[in-house]
Amino acid sequence: MSDTLYIEDLTVALRGAEVLRNLTFDVAPGRVVGLVGESGAGKSMIGRVLAGTLPEGFGVTGGSARFGTADLVTMAPAARRAMLGGRITFIPQEPLTALNPLLTIGAQFIEHLARLGVPRRARRGRVLDALAQVELPDPAQIVARYPFQLSGGQNQRVLIAMAFASNPALIIADEPTTALDVSTQMSVVSLIRRMGRDHGTGLVFITHDLRLAAHVCDAIVVLYAGEVVERGPAATVMLSPRHPYTHSLKASIPQLSGPLHRLVPLPDTMPGIGSFAAMPGCRFAGRCPVSDPACAAAPPANVDLGGGHVVRCAPGCLSGAWDGTTPELLLPPPDPTGEPILTVAGLSKRFPPPRDLFGRRRGDGTLAVDGADLTVHAGEFIGVVGESGSGKSTLARLIMGLEHPTSGTIRLDDRDITAASRAARDLRIEALQMVFQDPQSALNPRRTVQRLVTQGMEARGQRDRPTRAADLLRETGLAADLTHRYPSELSGGQKQRVNIARALCVAPRLLVADEIVSGLDVSVQAQILNLLMALRDEHGIGLILISHDLGVVRYLCSRVCVMLQGRIVEQGTVARVFSDPQHAYTKALLASIPPDDPTVPWPPEKESTQ
Amino acid sequence: MSARAGLLHPRILIGGGIVATLALMAVFAPQLAPHDPNAQELMYTLLPPAWAPGGNLAHPLGTDSLGQDVLSRLIWGTRTALYVAVLAAGGAMLLGTTLALLAGYFGGWADWLVARAVDTWMSFPPVILALILLVGFGAGLNNVVFAIIIVDWTRFARVIRAEVIVVRRRDYIAAARLSGFSHMRTLVSEVLPATMPLIVTLLSLEMGIAVIVEATLSFVGLSVETDVPAWGVMIADARVYMNQSPWGVMVPTLAIFVTVLAFNLLGDGLRRALDPRLRVRGAA
Repeated sequence: MSDTLYIEDLTVALRGAEVLRNLTFDVAPGRVVGLVGESGAGKSMIGRVLAGTLPEGFGVTGGSARFGTADLVTMAPAARRAMLGGRITFIPQEPLTALNPLLTIGAQFIEHLARLGVPRRARRGRVLDALAQVELPDPAQIVARYPFQLSGGQNQRVLIAMAFASNPALIIADEPTTALDVSTQMSVVSLIRRMGRDHGTGLVFITHDLRLAAHVCDAIVVLYAGEVVERGPAATVMLSPRHPYTHSLKASIPQLSGPLHRLVPLPDTMPGIGSFAAMPGCRFAGRCPVSDPACAAAPPANVDLGGGHVVRCAPGCLSGAWDGTTPELLLPPPDPTGEPILTVAGLSKRFPPPRDLFGRRRGDGTLAVDGADLTVHAGEFIGVVGESGSGKSTLARLIMGLEHPTSGTIRLDDRDITAASRAARDLRIEALQMVFQDPQSALNPRRTVQRLVTQGMEARGQRDRPTRAADLLRETGLAADLTHRYPSELSGGQKQRVNIARALCVAPRLLVADEIVSGLDVSVQAQILNLLMALRDEHGIGLILISHDLGVVRYLCSRVCVMLQGRIVEQGTVARVFSDPQHAYTKALLASIPPDDPTVPWPPEKESTQ
Repeated sequence: MSARAGLLHPRILIGGGIVATLALMAVFAPQLAPHDPNAQELMYTLLPPAWAPGGNLAHPLGTDSLGQDVLSRLIWGTRTALYVAVLAAGGAMLLGTTLALLAGYFGGWADWLVARAVDTWMSFPPVILALILLVGFGAGLNNVVFAIIIVDWTRFARVIRAEVIVVRRRDYIAAARLSGFSHMRTLVSEVLPATMPLIVTLLSLEMGIAVIVEATLSFVGLSVETDVPAWGVMIADARVYMNQSPWGVMVPTLAIFVTVLAFNLLGDGLRRALDPRLRVRGAA
């Protein structure tokens, strides 16, 4: 079982454009290698090369992927099929879509074992053993369940058990925890690590999260636009990155401890496949803070820094003269003074059960928000954190009047705006605006950027919209030539800026932002976070930031509310809650994020079985 | 730019071309038809088309059992067909779409009422319902239009309601409300355009259906007055002599076929051209 995967000079091309260029790394048995990069970097493409499932038009044009005695690139399809699912297995990103919804867990697992040639009578016992190994409580119960009856974390554990069932030499895990909540992520990650070590399996861990990779992996391979820009031992890459891109990536992640520094995001976005053909040199050169004209002309060579640390960059950058710009220290915003803008008291929302055929409702429904109290002052940034289903988004929709509360009051300045009246609505939309989570759904595809951002003026019949649109675009850092584009022609980061610009149109005093950076890559996320900070400094705008990312909340907010099952279980200043959490749930939440320092052991080795 | 390029798609060009030709035929029927469609020449009954043996150039598509010119009746029949297609489909669209928008957008009791009404309505056999209506109101072209609207609004209501419910959950609807749009304005300027591709497709399908329904009702004599030429009447008249003179059935049948096909092509083409989701990034 001790086979090493050697990938050497692997190149994949689409119509002459090299989508992956000269990839080299190896995965030894029992080792975890992290492939880190932003979306479009080519992370998942590597898994598809190994699986032989490259999309139409893509082809391997050079290099090899040796595994044992075989080369996975030139291997016959039949031999590859025999190897996949057996000696090489996969852990997918979306556990629910990877399992067949119509079969029980037991039936799917037994089918898998049958394919592996396990004798009929031994199969059920093997399933129960495997499920017990991944710490699923009561395996005998689990085998009779359907995937939809299990949580995301439980489904992922089932898939991990299946991936290890054949005692594979290599597992490719593609963003295995991205769809899970942070606390579930921690237990799943530690499970994958422990299983890998016990079975002596080599693991390719694909992720966009550099900090997570630094803790989970032994070695890290940083990908940018289809190229390995830096690889080496995990702690070395995280603590002393040498490639400017790795530097920037690290500088874009909001820190969880220590003094707050301003994030230094990269300008623009990663080039797409379409522009690769016109980039003979370093693909990062266009965004690199220290590039020179030679960089764009020819691809840089790999520089071996010893100890397996290899960087693909011009030697000048590696001399140590450049260690990244020292980011500016952020001062905490002044304490808010005066009366609060928004006061929420005892706010509750119960969703009624759906109507039956005869229009009646049965049962109690769901209590999504339970007695929430919250005040926001002018210019104050407040974070609301919690897991999915904790009622964060419902709280935002209640504040915005998109849902109406079952009980409790919402006051704007000293006026009650709880009622679903026209007067309350008019008051509300002058002062409060919302930035939605998913820009795809929040922007009407039939409106141009200009018509989107000036929607508030359109509603009021105001003229002079092109002028205001130009102001809003400038303020949110959008190029003026986007004015007449449609959303389908914008990148994710641009869409989110349009989304913010629209909310700013009527000059509100308070923004409610629901997970507005969760779908973005870290470098784009950092751009948006800095934009919000600039809006506070210039306009004294307040913000309720709903997020599951504690780093983002710590970076932006002065106060934080922790929500659990519809209730605010802890509320306080960010400094206090992060350093001295009181509620058990807050403590668990903080412990479940990988710390900034890769040398701090995480996940905790001694972990309770849940 | 990309939307304009989409409008030049073959589906739209062919479908639109045929529909435009039919519309011109309907409008200029008095000028185009070589004969009075009701003029009988009993000396020349059941003539074959001009190119067939025994044909006569004065009657390019031949004559029927009463010696009426088939081409002239075909051209005048276009009027009947398009009149019903436009009014009946348009009326069903207006009624069904309005109810669907209100039900899907507001939800609650409005939605429950419309949904149950559609369920109940669709449980009636449509042909029987139409026949009952026509027997009640009496035969006649406008009553055919009315019957089709009453029977077929449910097609629009059901399909568009489902789409409205999907669109209504998009955040841009909430964003429009938060921008200060009234419910009515949100419905008209945000929800309705999103359902347009579907409405256009349904409308074109419904026009095709209306042409067929009108022809069917003409065939059984429940549609037009006796002196109005209609394709269904032509088929009914020619059916008896089908063995001697198959052209009499084939010509109006072919007209119905081409008309329905043209509406479907046009509708499908427009749906593709109008949907911005099918507009690719960077295509502009």
